[in-house]
Amino acid sequence: MNLYFNQIAAIVWKDFVTELKTRELLSAMFIFALLVILIFIFSINLSIVKASEVGPGVLWVAFLFAGTIGLNRSFMLEKENGCLMGLMLVPADRTTIYFGKLISNFIFLSIMELFILPLFMIFFNIEILEYLGPLLMVIFLGTLGFCALGTLLSSLSSNLKTREIMLPILLYPLLIPIVIGVVRMTGQLLEGVPLLDMMKWVGLTASFDIIYIGVSIMTIDHILEE
Amino acid sequence: MEPDENAMEVRHLRKSFGVLKAVDGIDFELKQGEFLTVFGPNGAGKTTLIKILCGLTQPTSGTAKIAGFDVTEGNVEMRKEIGVISHATALYADLTPVENLMFFARMHGLSQPEEKAMKVIDEVGLSQRRNDRVRTFSRGMLQRLSIARAILHDPTILFLDEPFTGLDIHASNVLKEHLKRLHNRRRTILMTTHDISCGLEMCDKVALQVQGKFAFMENIADVNRDQFESMYFDAVRDNQFVMEIGS
Repeated sequence: MNLYFNQIAAIVWKDFVTELKTRELLSAMFIFALLVILIFIFSINLSIVKASEVGPGVLWVAFLFAGTIGLNRSFMLEKENGCLMGLMLVPADRTTIYFGKLISNFIFLSIMELFILPLFMIFFNIEILEYLGPLLMVIFLGTLGFCALGTLLSSLSSNLKTREIMLPILLYPLLIPIVIGVVRMTGQLLEGVPLLDMMKWVGLTASFDIIYIGVSIMTIDHILEE
Repeated sequence: MEPDENAMEVRHLRKSFGVLKAVDGIDFELKQGEFLTVFGPNGAGKTTLIKILCGLTQPTSGTAKIAGFDVTEGNVEMRKEIGVISHATALYADLTPVENLMFFARMHGLSQPEEKAMKVIDEVGLSQRRNDRVRTFSRGMLQRLSIARAILHDPTILFLDEPFTGLDIHASNVLKEHLKRLHNRRRTILMTTHDISCGLEMCDKVALQVQGKFAFMENIADVNRDQFESMYFDAVRDNQFVMEIGS
């Protein structure tokens, strides 16, 4: 069991060292998310529309679209020079590859979100500090589901020539339940509704997180095999 | 693996991609420490054969045992016994040799990954460049590092898929020396190549794969080099002809 966790940790370590050297992924995701927010800011008249009504949608569009860039890059890195083949040849359960990439994607996306969140607060003039705890919980649930499904689908689409197109086409429809859940919860939090009053949405999002991880564990072996 | 056990046992192995038969009924066995070189024209199915034998792809039918393990079972233990060198280096371009090999050592569950990485880097003569990014390496250096990655966990069986491709004469000689050293250490080796002189020089057995089949397989002692060369060139020419007709 120790070896299993060590192998997952090794993949995460490798992705971090690569990112520290290249700084490609985080900067690309951050700039993309920032641009999305800026475009919406200039197109929405916040004196007419309530920021708490449109803000959650804008925030999650920025997170998910920027996250897709990260997911595309994630398995591209493994395809370069046949590194995925090298990973497939090590004496490791294939789920270690999935969990290693999932954790890396989750951490990178979370870092980007932590930088975007204060900017969102400033641009939309929304006070989120008093709901920060519950909001971070919602972001955690949404990001986990996005990464759980996204990591699986990016491993699938990495074998395709049209991978950049296929990933969003496969990912977004399947992600709808989670997106609805987190956007609703974020909106209600910004209107002052406590998280305890939306446990149905928390349950729905968490259930889909678990389902996506479960399906990934069952299928990753077949997906990675040529 | 038991001392008297065959390192590889392949029986009626087939792999089809639709109507294309990439591997078409291959049978052979290799004892521990033997070196088999497989020649064949492009598209003969050599890479597919290696992919099946190292468990990267499933055969359509037939059986193959590597170090006593059935390749179709995706056995983790089998992967401890094999090392693979292919056209693709399987190295992360933005990491240094030490980081790359430390990563693979950790994935193999080796103790003291940094020491192991340093040792094999030294063995392949890349100590001077151990802290440079792999992206800056020449093809020959990449291939040497690829060997280091493949032998890091001291496997008993090595698969080499056209390892001399793109190497200059110096890099080719360095690679040859490494392979000889590994052969002397009784590693079982299966290598595919187009390089007649390198391929015949080192092997114990030689095979010619044409359209998925082993058209020829003999001990090197029983092979007339000139006849084999002419047979190989005929196979390449005929294959070219078939490909041109096909297209």
